[in-house]
Amino acid sequence: MSAIDELPQLPTPVAPPLSRLLEAELAQLTPVATRRPVRQLALLVALSLIYGAGVLAMLAMRRDLHELPMYWLAGVGVAWLAGFVIPVYLALIPRDGSIMPRWKAAGASAVVGAVGFLLLGLSLHPSGPHSTSLDSFNHGYGCLELGVATAIVPVVAGALFLRGTLPVGSRGIAAALGAGGGSLGGLMLHLHCPVTDMLHVGVMHGGVVAVAAVLSALLVPRATDVK
Amino acid sequence: MQRYCDGDAGAFRELYALVAPRLLGYLLKMSRERALADDLLQQTFLKVHRARGAYVRGADPLPWIYSIAHRTFIDAARKQKRAVVRVGTDDELPEVAAGLTGESDDRRDEVRGDPELVTATLDALAALPAQQREAVVLTKLDGKSVAEAAEIAGTTVGAMKVRAHRGYEALRRLLGKAARPSAGTEAGTETGTNAATGASKDAPKTAGGAS
Repeated sequence: MSAIDELPQLPTPVAPPLSRLLEAELAQLTPVATRRPVRQLALLVALSLIYGAGVLAMLAMRRDLHELPMYWLAGVGVAWLAGFVIPVYLALIPRDGSIMPRWKAAGASAVVGAVGFLLLGLSLHPSGPHSTSLDSFNHGYGCLELGVATAIVPVVAGALFLRGTLPVGSRGIAAALGAGGGSLGGLMLHLHCPVTDMLHVGVMHGGVVAVAAVLSALLVPRATDVK
Repeated sequence: MQRYCDGDAGAFRELYALVAPRLLGYLLKMSRERALADDLLQQTFLKVHRARGAYVRGADPLPWIYSIAHRTFIDAARKQKRAVVRVGTDDELPEVAAGLTGESDDRRDEVRGDPELVTATLDALAALPAQQREAVVLTKLDGKSVAEAAEIAGTTVGAMKVRAHRGYEALRRLLGKAARPSAGTEAGTETGTNAATGASKDAPKTAGGAS
């Protein structure tokens, strides 16, 4: 393979002068604020939690709250919170010395979150005397919609923060933002919805993560791609 | 990059002078058309300029800029439905505006190494699927590590390894095929420019012998 081995030794080509368009842009060059990932993460988490708390305040805390096992209530709550923070962290914070976030890890976290919360809801769904049971599975769509609506703020904020950052891997990052937002929606439903049916908790609450991740992966790259 | 983000136009020119030749080399190897590569280079830097606010202070901008170039090339290839000039027969030989180094044909002799050998290899490279071509260009020709190449192309390290390996093997096969007609010449049989690669009869002989 000596032929291919010779290629790297070729002199680098001479680049053409800057185009007129670039020259015109440079003539009006102004300082820009560069991206600060940690600050963006803190801002996104704070905004999202305030928004989630506001939505929860407008609705109501679940009426069977004091009847449910504390270990489940706190444990699952922490899991939802981690499901929100971890994908969002991976989507916003790049490795040291890098500009682009870790889209592979972020994408993987979205998949783990989507599958994990579905299984968690199907397997752990304790109930109390004031818990509710749905007559029909179809009545649970409201929770799915509410959860996805809660995901809007972290997804939109993340998309704004990441504009121009993602020439590649934008779907993985977008999925992570969606999964993070969906987990925030799941946390809100965990504290609001008194329905404890296995399918409802698993599919409608857990499914929020998957639905938000898919929607985000489809829509957000249009906003974040380098244009 | 930091001075450029702070509004120093001179810093952008320094960045351009430093990065553009390497990036142009990458785009030339990918597109094999000087005019297209020049255009893609300008588009890449325009995107860098417009997205400069995405820069994280202290970070190495090169993988990001390479990724933008990669994406610009992919988008252009999709738009044009053709990313490379493929050569079918002698009659379909393309007009090559310039070679890898940007030199015109009549100045090819100034290029180090055997120019025909280089042309044969570049033609074989152009015959590879885009992903394999990119993997070979980045890992073999541009000297990037597999991890760096994977980051630039937006794929996993494992996938990049597979693409580079398959690309390299395909290149071997193409150069091997190119060598066979040359062997025929030595035996006194009729031969000419290789149909698959567009390489001249002398080039594949050497390439095949080396593979």
